Amino acid sequence: MKAPPTLSAEDFEPAQHDIHVEQISRPSLSYWEDAWRRLKQNRRALISLYIIVALAAFTLIGPLLWRVDPSLQDLNQISQPPSMPKEATLVAPYKRWSGVTINDFPAYPDDYLDLIPAPIGLRPAMPPTTQAVRLVWDPVKGAGGYNVYRNTRRPETINDLGLPLGGTMAGNEVSFQDRLNLEQRTYYYSVISTDGYDESSTYTTIEVTPLLAMTRQDAISRGLIPEDSPLDIGDTLQIEFHPLGTDYLGRDMLARLMEGARVSLFIGICAPVLFVIFGILYGGFSGYFGGRLDQLLMRFADFVVALPFLLFMILFKIAFGIGPGESGILPMLIALVLLGWPATARLVRGQVLQIREQGYIQAARLLGAGNGYLVMRHIIPNTMGVILVTLTFAVPSAIFTEAFLSFIGMGVAPPTPSWGSMCNEGVKTMLSHPHELIFPAAFISITVLAFNLLGDGLTEALDSRMRSRE
Amino acid sequence: MSHLLEVNDLAVEFATYGGNVKAVRSVSFHVDEGETLAIVGESGCGKSVTVQSLMGIIPMPPGKITGGSARLKDKEILGLPPREANRFRGVEIGMIFQDPMTSLNPTMTIGDQIAETLRVHRGISRQTAFKRAIELLEKTRIPEAQKRARQYPFEFSGGMLQRAMIAQSLACNPSILIADEPTTALDVTIQAQILELMMELQRTENMSIILITHDLAIVARMATRVAVMYAGQIVETGTVDEIFYQSAHPYTAGLRQAMPSNVGDKNKQLTPILGSPPDLFDPPKGCGYCARCPQAMNVCLSRLPPAMAVGDNDSEHTARCWLQHPDAPDTQAVYQPGKQHAG
Amino acid sequence: MLVYTLKRLLAGVITVWFIATATFFAMHSVPGDPLMNDKAVTEEIRANLERKYGLDRPLHEQYFVFMGNMLKGDFGISFTQQNRQVNDIIRDHFPVSATLGVLAITFAALGGILWGALTAIYRNRLPDIIIMFLVILGISVPSFVFAALGQLALVNLNSLLGYSLLPVAGWGTIWHMLVPSLVLGLGTMALLTRLMRSSMLEVVNEDYIKTARAKGLSPMRIFFRHQLRNAILPVITVLGPQIAAITTGGFVVELVFAIPGLGRYFVQAVQQLDYTVIMGTTVFYGAFLVLMVILVDILYGFIDPRVRIES
Repeated sequence: MKAPPTLSAEDFEPAQHDIHVEQISRPSLSYWEDAWRRLKQNRRALISLYIIVALAAFTLIGPLLWRVDPSLQDLNQISQPPSMPKEATLVAPYKRWSGVTINDFPAYPDDYLDLIPAPIGLRPAMPPTTQAVRLVWDPVKGAGGYNVYRNTRRPETINDLGLPLGGTMAGNEVSFQDRLNLEQRTYYYSVISTDGYDESSTYTTIEVTPLLAMTRQDAISRGLIPEDSPLDIGDTLQIEFHPLGTDYLGRDMLARLMEGARVSLFIGICAPVLFVIFGILYGGFSGYFGGRLDQLLMRFADFVVALPFLLFMILFKIAFGIGPGESGILPMLIALVLLGWPATARLVRGQVLQIREQGYIQAARLLGAGNGYLVMRHIIPNTMGVILVTLTFAVPSAIFTEAFLSFIGMGVAPPTPSWGSMCNEGVKTMLSHPHELIFPAAFISITVLAFNLLGDGLTEALDSRMRSRE
Repeated sequence: MSHLLEVNDLAVEFATYGGNVKAVRSVSFHVDEGETLAIVGESGCGKSVTVQSLMGIIPMPPGKITGGSARLKDKEILGLPPREANRFRGVEIGMIFQDPMTSLNPTMTIGDQIAETLRVHRGISRQTAFKRAIELLEKTRIPEAQKRARQYPFEFSGGMLQRAMIAQSLACNPSILIADEPTTALDVTIQAQILELMMELQRTENMSIILITHDLAIVARMATRVAVMYAGQIVETGTVDEIFYQSAHPYTAGLRQAMPSNVGDKNKQLTPILGSPPDLFDPPKGCGYCARCPQAMNVCLSRLPPAMAVGDNDSEHTARCWLQHPDAPDTQAVYQPGKQHAG
Repeated sequence: MLVYTLKRLLAGVITVWFIATATFFAMHSVPGDPLMNDKAVTEEIRANLERKYGLDRPLHEQYFVFMGNMLKGDFGISFTQQNRQVNDIIRDHFPVSATLGVLAITFAALGGILWGALTAIYRNRLPDIIIMFLVILGISVPSFVFAALGQLALVNLNSLLGYSLLPVAGWGTIWHMLVPSLVLGLGTMALLTRLMRSSMLEVVNEDYIKTARAKGLSPMRIFFRHQLRNAILPVITVLGPQIAAITTGGFVVELVFAIPGLGRYFVQAVQQLDYTVIMGTTVFYGAFLVLMVILVDILYGFIDPRVRIES
């Protein structure tokens, strides 16, 4: 044992200090203040909250800013990918083109050559537009005709020339007109000489990017220019702008997504709110009265839970049927509420039973609190947290259900868009135009993600056990 | 003389997001063969953390042993890799916990859990181990051990479970049994039985016991020596008699006055210790107790008292209190050998 | 345990009866007439068809005939695929759906337990963060989107490689099953991972894990014998509802990947209002799902001694 240190007499004077008994080190916060404070600290939950607010703005304010009719079909722009604003060139109405035939050139070869060379001088006869692409080339000696192919990528071999468009049947017919579903994009036209029957093994390719063309008449009828517009042929004009592209009927994706958000979020939020309210009433009633009635009510809830949910949703939809002109939103809402309530009812009943037995309820009773006061002051505030969490998690699952049903064609009836039914349409053209699937799918996923993360955050924030852990 | 277990300057910290909690600060004690050392203190004073860090079972991270040594039979046991630590855990030192209801795996039979210890450490077959488990259950006075060994924890009562826990911890004849508040979760009548059982087994098996408790009555009944912990430090250590009748630290004295007793003055008032322990995020520079100590002196605020021998220098009765300093003023509050008001 | 099982089975039978009844009345409350879709049906043929399907009889008689037939295991003849028994459709196509479903649930369960355990071990470190990010995605993306994206990815992969690594659609070999069952299981896998993770983290703090460590057991032994086993229990309880989710998710996956499973036929029948097929498959699916939930609960009882002995 070491020797104790030397200390002065002053050290042994009684210390001047207060014995601070029971000091409160933290400010007092109400349950909701505390929960809100904790939620704000959870970055993921906060971002989710912002996303949900943004979605609400997208749904409610979006259509006011983006005034495009979601059901308007723009058949000139079908399945357009997302793009910047586009311009079209005014052209004259389509006129027949007789083509180019060279009179002083033999139409048929006198001699069969081993190898007929590919045409040279392949060029557009006039500026290519989506109205027509007109090609001419120099005649090839020994050719008895030409075949024309079109591809959307540069051909690598002769087997890769793409769509056979047709051709000419004489060596001196050296032009071709293509009007087949032309879009404003780059095409690769290939021309092969033939001996009148068989194709040669060489080809010439030219890259052509047609301008978007529109006749004056067309532009006026689509309301792009007024009737007395000074614009003339060759001038350019702005055409309808589809920032997120169009669907298979040329409808604006952005407008449809907004309209779809209304439907999906309406169902996704209304249905849970309704069935949670019903569940609270049912469960609260059952839990509060207890006894035989409680047993009976809960048996029924168990029974409803045991029913296969989606099968019954489908049955409901079939039974209700969708008449012409109906959107099918209401039947879906009813079905969701009818099948969705038991989970909340069970939860609330459990909570009520638990809270009823708590000491503070007994204490409040002893102090003379009435039933109404107990329910308002103790039971409801103490179940609100759990209910809020349930509600938050019920939203994504309702959105999922709507999307699933609409996807298999049992949900919202066309032409009313919902994110699910847009996916259903998008999946059909998925391979060629993936944006028609990806946009609605992304909206569903982001919404569900946001609600899930918010739910997680709320669970943590409202969990009173967490309070003491900090 | 070398001790069975000797702990020197053990320090343990927990990293929490509010900062590092210095849960155990320079704790030293020793245990000799066949004796019972009681570690006493209020909740959160670090007594469980002390023994759990000896066993290497505090969660790491956030826990961290930041210093000190612990030697069992002259071999260091702190900071061993799991494989080496397992040569003494369950073999040399057995441990039982506060709540027997949650301390056993709910999905394994009692017999299997006891047998598991034997199979792992002794390498014996399943059947032999299970037979041995039944014997152990009999030894801890569990009726119908044969049948009970095949049951699951939820089929046992709390007292029976604690017996099973004891049986499990005794499986490999350990030289030390650490009992971390073994009776706190039990009924008073059951408490007595469990303590009785522990004392009896201590005699028959010749083992030492480290008993963690906050109940001075249990200490008085069971312990040979006592270490009083406060705010992560051992503030006083000595034999039972020394601690109870010659309390050398105001905290020990305070505990004693807060303890009900059925002997002595009927009209004696229980005196609570006011205030609450210091925040161990940032332990005070001086004595941890001085904020609550009626005898606090200037030095207590500024300097941490070392463990000073009470009386002569060879005494094993030590206290971390400046009142035990040779120059300290006389007081009636604590035992100060050689001073006027001693006792 | 036996009483419990019997009780559950009885409740299951009642549920299936209710499903059958509800299906029957749902079908008969549909506006319009199932035979109206067929064009150019003469009165004579129409009468024949009505007799054949019993549509000319009063509703309650039809109900008893339907229930009687169902008890005998006869669901009638398809409306749209003439001369095809609903029983045959189920027999031919259910095995395909079942294979797909079993593979998906296997993927989901193994993956969920593995990933969940991994994230718990690497809590708050990089593997945990990455896996949990994917899990959140997995929970938030509907199964049909997974299916469509899976197929899209496969198409692009095949064209990038220049040969067909895996078939894009259809059924037959194990290679056909791989991607569909994976995308079908993803949502469930994500859910189970999440559950397993929280369950593992809860178990890790249990006192009996401390006991096991104090007993001197190796970390591996503690992990497998004490931690994993107890952590899996809550995961098993959600398997019942998850089997239902995978079964219905199978509808869309079969649709997207053109897999000749019962789900696709069911969806087609629903779209074409093929009443007998809808009734037959709904009752079949309903009975299957109810049975699965009961089986999972009984299985849980075998694994958790607390349930096994107390019930």
